[in-house]
Amino acid sequence: MAELNPSNWVEEYGDYLFRYANSRLRDASAAEEVVQETFLAGVRYSEQFAGRGSERGWLIGILKRKIIDCIRARKKHSQVAPYEDEHDPSAQMFDAMGNWKPGAVKWAPEPGKAIELGELQAVVNNCLKTLPQSQADVFILSVMEEMDSEDVCQELEITPANMWVRMHRARLRLAKCVGSKWQVDHEVEHNV
Amino acid sequence: MSDDRKISELISKSLRHELSKEESREVADHLGQAGEAKKFAEISRLIQDSVSGLHVENLASVTNEAGLTQDAKKRLNESVASAISEKLSLSQAGLISKGVYAETTDSGRGSRTGSAQADGQRQVNSRFNLIRRLGQGGLGSVWLARDETLGRTVAIKELNANALESEKSWERFQREAEITGQLEHPNVVPLYQYGVDCDSGEPFYAMRFVGKRTLADAIVEYHDRREIGETGALCLHRLLTVFLDICQAIAYAHSRGVVHRDLKPENVALDNFGQVIVLDWGLAKVLEDGELASKMTNTACSSNDILNQTMHGEVVGTPLYMSPEQASGDLDRIGERTDVYGLGAILFSILTGKAPHERSATNSGSDVDSIVKIIAESATPQPVDYDLSIPNELEMICVKSMARKQHLRFESVQKLADAVESWIAGQSGKQAAYESVRMEGRELRADLQSRVRDLERNVRFASGLPPIKALISAKTSEDVSVWRERLSIIFQGLLKANPDYSSIAYCRVDQLETVDLKNLSGSFSELVRVERHSTDLSNIRTVPKSRLATYDFDDYMSKVVIQKPDEVHTSLVCDPMCSVDAKSNDAIGLFSAVPVYDEETEEVFGFVVINANIEKMLRQQMDRRTTAEEVVVACDIFHIMMHSKNGTLAEDSVGKKVADQAEHFLPAIEHLQTETDFIDETDSDIFGARIWLNPGQLGLMYLLKRK
Repeated sequence: MAELNPSNWVEEYGDYLFRYANSRLRDASAAEEVVQETFLAGVRYSEQFAGRGSERGWLIGILKRKIIDCIRARKKHSQVAPYEDEHDPSAQMFDAMGNWKPGAVKWAPEPGKAIELGELQAVVNNCLKTLPQSQADVFILSVMEEMDSEDVCQELEITPANMWVRMHRARLRLAKCVGSKWQVDHEVEHNV
Repeated sequence: MSDDRKISELISKSLRHELSKEESREVADHLGQAGEAKKFAEISRLIQDSVSGLHVENLASVTNEAGLTQDAKKRLNESVASAISEKLSLSQAGLISKGVYAETTDSGRGSRTGSAQADGQRQVNSRFNLIRRLGQGGLGSVWLARDETLGRTVAIKELNANALESEKSWERFQREAEITGQLEHPNVVPLYQYGVDCDSGEPFYAMRFVGKRTLADAIVEYHDRREIGETGALCLHRLLTVFLDICQAIAYAHSRGVVHRDLKPENVALDNFGQVIVLDWGLAKVLEDGELASKMTNTACSSNDILNQTMHGEVVGTPLYMSPEQASGDLDRIGERTDVYGLGAILFSILTGKAPHERSATNSGSDVDSIVKIIAESATPQPVDYDLSIPNELEMICVKSMARKQHLRFESVQKLADAVESWIAGQSGKQAAYESVRMEGRELRADLQSRVRDLERNVRFASGLPPIKALISAKTSEDVSVWRERLSIIFQGLLKANPDYSSIAYCRVDQLETVDLKNLSGSFSELVRVERHSTDLSNIRTVPKSRLATYDFDDYMSKVVIQKPDEVHTSLVCDPMCSVDAKSNDAIGLFSAVPVYDEETEEVFGFVVINANIEKMLRQQMDRRTTAEEVVVACDIFHIMMHSKNGTLAEDSVGKKVADQAEHFLPAIEHLQTETDFIDETDSDIFGARIWLNPGQLGLMYLLKRK
């Protein structure tokens, strides 16, 4: 039966948890902070670890909660400007009639070549950092953390309509960003 | 729809699978055409797939993402080490600590033995070895365990397997440990440690092992013994003393802002040394404004509400002692007076041997919901419904404690305890007075027995005097006169020395015929008789020969002459000149006689008989100081021979029937027909002592009533 070994946690799971947190929070110091909080909570509530899953899985469970807490706290403390005007990428992608601008999404993967998900993930992670926080948070909680829409709305204290607007804008931005970077990277690779 | 912007919105939505059929068709039509929409849909899908689903595992392959810096790792290690050490120190301190990582070095880390060994023993926290399970409740099981560190036996409570999955159970378990640990009282089980089984990660707490015997066992034992007449007031007093200890524990808990609310005999342990321990504080309510509320952790306090919600489900297992407010789910009204009810229910059980709602349970077929409904809606049962002999004052205390309306109950546990205590004190005074009356009754009997022994010794002495033998063999009238005179002088001396004796006579059998083995016929005549004057008691005279009498054998004298030599026969008898139903004590005498045998013929020649004045003897006894309110001496024909009330003789009663003069002694008289003592188990009021001189003949009874 598994047992907890908190003394070895930093060495064994520190990097893993940090990367996970950083990919969600896009902020190294905030990620380090939630990892620390996770370890401390693990020690404090160690008796609740019944040994049924892995130690890492149990810690990830705590970390996920800490990430949500961090996102919520960060949102409360930051003065985010109304996003409607400032962060709407639609103007860059659609014309006045609401039709796609030509080349709005640069996506032309090489025919017959499989897309390497790990590679794509690295590009997506980089693009996430360029997203406005309000949109990134919705995308992270909804897609990466696979939370229900209702829970996302509750955690971020927004209406479902707001959530969908933010979500869509995040997707548009990511599609534009990832498409461009992918193409650039592959052109570079091709040329090299 | 031709607006690409709107279509893109639908594509976004479709990635969350939330499109209507119509919308899906619209999107599909659009994606059929090559263009930006298709690219957007494709890339968005790929983006989503790359970061969701297996994202956690995939993350490990993202090598270009930097991990923690060395500085960050150092900082994290320091804070984790500090948390571990803080937790260990709390754990060693005992109570509210939780995890126990005993040691976290590579070699020493929580060396466990596995969940179950071949012999069924387990080890918890490397310090405790579980020996065997003692019992199981809804939340947890209690084990007998060995504390290896201190070499002592302890009890370990752990969460049941089915409760482990529930966070609420964890909270309740911790809460129970915290409450028990906070209540430091001689009658609350002392908690040694709260911790976690290093092996399973499950919580437990260690407490003093108080044995398996509970108040419920003691009550059953008391009533079983009572049923076969083996026990009395003393055992009830012992149980009531236990009850007072429980009251003290609960009163203390109330002073700390804790209401037990699950009081029943099963939750009171009795160890072999008379220690009373209240157990199972798992359902206790921590009053918000109480002292303990501020000391409890948030977890424990918040589970007050959880407990309220689950209370119904938890308590229904044993609703027989449940208060009406609990049964009706009126949780806001649960307070100190709920425990007053619970204590009243325990008192009920002590008095009757039954749980208050046991009869309801029997009638409703043990259906828990029905019982709870009955408790909530119907009148509280009363002890006298079960047993009429319950002391009235205790019955009243019990009924008041269990009043349906809270404001009619004792306002505090202390008030209830005071009431029971003062009853016990009253009983003790009563008991002491009764003991004194019993002592007196036995002394009176012993005194009379001693006088009877003296009487028998004297009559035997008299029968061995030389003039007795000489009178048998005297041939001439001169000889007879000489020996008569000498004998009468000795007899006079005997009467002078014994003021209680009325007369002493030496009689000769004149004629004797055997009718059957027990009855004789014939006559006897007095040879020598010395008697005391009936009114001038100092006047002792020898009856002149001309006044000596001849009598026919009566029952008593018949028994005397069939005795063997030196065998004394003593009895209360009606004077041969009086009838049995005489109304005066004068008619009854205490006679002691011994046969005299002719050594030549070896036949009965006659007998010596002393008539002692029983009335005078009894009167002397009555003159002594007494603590009894009333003393009656009755002979077997139920006539009063002596009656003293508050130290004054009631002459009017003499010769009358006990039933007419002192009816309260009748049960004692009934009992004394076959027994030597009557002890009043119920009220400690009447004592009776019986003296038998001869089986089947008249005897005496001393009947005493306590003040």
